[in-house]
Amino acid sequence: MSQTGQTGRTSETADWTDPKPARVTFDEWLELFDHVPDELIEHYHYYDNGESWSKYLFPPQTFAIYGARHLRRLKFDNSLAALRMWGLVQNETERLFRARQIGRRVIATMGDLGAVPVIVDSFPGCVAFYPDCIWWTPFVMESRVLFDAAAELGIGDATCFSRAALGAFAKHSYFPDPDLVIASTGASCDDYSGVEQLVQSFAPDVLWVEEPLRQECRIASDECRMGVPRETQAAITFLTREYERVVERMERLAGHAITEEELREGVRRANRVRKLVARLRELTFRDAALAALEMMVVEFGSLHYYSDIGEWTAVLEHLLATAERRAARAERVVDGAALRIIWVTPPADPLLLTYVEDKGARVVGTEYVINQALEVMDESRPPLEAIADSFMAASLIGTSRARAESVIGQARERQAEGVIISGILGGSHCAMEARLISDYVKQEMGLPVLEFDVAPPSNEVGLQLQTRIDAFLEVLRSRR
Amino acid sequence: MKDLLTPRERFGLLVIDEPQDRVPVFPLVTAHAARVAGISVREYYTDGAAMARSQLVAQETYGIDFISFFSEVGLVAEALGSRFDYPEDDLPLLVRPKWTELTQLDDRVANPLHDGRLRVYLDAIAYAYEARGDTVPILAYVPAPFTTAQQLVDQEAFLLGLLTEPERVKELLGYATRSITRFCRAIIGAGGLPILVDPLASGSVISAEHYRGFALPSEAEVVRYLHRYDLDVVLHICGDTRATIGMMPETGADLLSIDRIEIADAVAGAGKTCRIIGNYDTSAILLSDPRTIERETTEMAAAGSSCPKGFVAATGCEVPVDTPPDNVRAFVRSARQAGRNPEFGKSGTVPRSDAANASRYSPRFHGRRRRV
Repeated sequence: MSQTGQTGRTSETADWTDPKPARVTFDEWLELFDHVPDELIEHYHYYDNGESWSKYLFPPQTFAIYGARHLRRLKFDNSLAALRMWGLVQNETERLFRARQIGRRVIATMGDLGAVPVIVDSFPGCVAFYPDCIWWTPFVMESRVLFDAAAELGIGDATCFSRAALGAFAKHSYFPDPDLVIASTGASCDDYSGVEQLVQSFAPDVLWVEEPLRQECRIASDECRMGVPRETQAAITFLTREYERVVERMERLAGHAITEEELREGVRRANRVRKLVARLRELTFRDAALAALEMMVVEFGSLHYYSDIGEWTAVLEHLLATAERRAARAERVVDGAALRIIWVTPPADPLLLTYVEDKGARVVGTEYVINQALEVMDESRPPLEAIADSFMAASLIGTSRARAESVIGQARERQAEGVIISGILGGSHCAMEARLISDYVKQEMGLPVLEFDVAPPSNEVGLQLQTRIDAFLEVLRSRR
Repeated sequence: MKDLLTPRERFGLLVIDEPQDRVPVFPLVTAHAARVAGISVREYYTDGAAMARSQLVAQETYGIDFISFFSEVGLVAEALGSRFDYPEDDLPLLVRPKWTELTQLDDRVANPLHDGRLRVYLDAIAYAYEARGDTVPILAYVPAPFTTAQQLVDQEAFLLGLLTEPERVKELLGYATRSITRFCRAIIGAGGLPILVDPLASGSVISAEHYRGFALPSEAEVVRYLHRYDLDVVLHICGDTRATIGMMPETGADLLSIDRIEIADAVAGAGKTCRIIGNYDTSAILLSDPRTIERETTEMAAAGSSCPKGFVAATGCEVPVDTPPDNVRAFVRSARQAGRNPEFGKSGTVPRSDAANASRYSPRFHGRRRRV
């Protein structure tokens, strides 16, 4: 019997035994789902309630019928835990509307990718989410609808895919109109700051938060971590004050004076998620216990926990139980002998991860511009300061060299054979940064690096890109 | 006036009890699509690509909020062995049911890939889904067990059997259900949302007692199967359902598509638990004039606004094949206009869960919408 998750259900119970680990197709999951007992479907609910609407253990077909066309082309982990993860993630839009219907306050947090939700979720009855994550929707739906909506508002194809968030605000149908928007800007992505500015016309209440610049690297350098240089401490102090403004605004909104203990508990809950993710990264990157696609979904869960931190934590526990069991049995979901690559910048098109794995590679490290959401917070510090401190590890508030050092650190640790940098056309941090990271990795490690811009939503990986990836992997193979 | 939402976005809001920019509009354009596309009716129901292309043209031409595949209710029965004729320019006709009387059943289950014309539907769904699945819901009518059974056995013998051999009738319904759920599974795999259609269970054909005893349980079984996939299930029963409307929610269906019943009666009988789809008179859309249709559709939409769980402005049954296109346009135009929600999307009008809307939003049902 494997470990139980928060909801007490595991991948190996009297109701269900996971098949031998594998990545399965959309059609194969339909076959598998035939064997999922009704009792299991009834068991899992989000928001910890028993209402029929809060069930979520459903196969990819369910979400495909409602428009997620790209799912038909992906390959999925065949464990119950992974099915559960996909179910929870895919019905987030409904969950946000349900949150509003049952009286919760819905707060859009934008731009900082991982910090402000720790504060928001500390308030009772409040749910944070990132409209930023809507950037995947056009790809998952194979659709231009949200890009077209954004274009009508003045942001066209020359801007990063995150412009889909603006389209979603304009549509009023991808999430409820938020009670409050907390928009982070400053030392961050220029494109997204532009998106945030235009969002203001759809949101009656926007609180702006300034992100400070990180003046030196503290990601990969142990020396930096030993002490806090003066500049960094000043930035943390500044950011802590910014978070105090967030707290004040949230208190007014929620009508609740939050206690330090409630904030501490919020930090502890978020840390629980971050620690689970850290362990899953280790098992995935070292032992191939999960595939790259599921691991990306797991990493991004650290941003806002897919709008239900309790259930997301349970899902992570379930995934971890599955991954630990696989590791103990030396079972892998991807061939352990596959080419080892580090992936830099999240691929907006998830099919790229499936494609690369199909071609005989596996992802052994990532730099998805969300380091700040992965860093475990120091629970001994005052909570806002702890959140601010962990945010100083953010990928986009510092130098390209810092990102490159993170990539190099992971590449060395996991003996990576190559690096893929998937850029975003129009992403201000991508155009220059990809070249800088690439040069640095080549200079320091002599590793081959493949850089490309992700193409707009489509039903396939374009032939030209297929050829480039194939050739790149062939180079890596020839170097063995 | 340009719509803010796509049909898929609109439907997504409807099924989770959220207001939409306007009511979804759904004249049940099935084989009429062949006329719109300029092909024969036979080509429409024997060639999946032709069926899909016709529906795509019709959806775009009229601005319908759904694409829906259907030809006739004998589809599953044919796949199980009943014989149908295919007239050149008319719908399939039952020539000989599989059995002439209630009899010993075989153990056959229709294979959606090989039997009858089930594959035509699957091809059509896959085609349309690839073409427009991001913006328009793709629906596929599936004849319910009760209706299918009457295409498997001589109808008179079947109806007599309700009185004299109820157990055999139930066995036959179970037999039909196995093939129907398998077909539904194939539709789900192709990207379509199955709609359960049970016209021969209407009050025009059977009593309320027989509905409860035979049709309802078999409908409920299919609905349960579809709810395993968290789908929002439409149950369409055309004809007179005044005597059974109060029972229909017991099937578990999330949306009821109604025909010859006042909307007020449908709301009284099922409106607290189901969204209502209906119900413009199909004779009128065939024979009336655009101005009259506009007026009557506007009245219908006004009545539909009283549905607490939501409303879809639809025809009561299929748009007849030879309906003048201007009549369909008049229906769609007026339904869209009358069903517009001027409050939708007004920033700053965030609804709060106060006592009044707590009951409106009381989440009792099986509404689905997901992040994609």
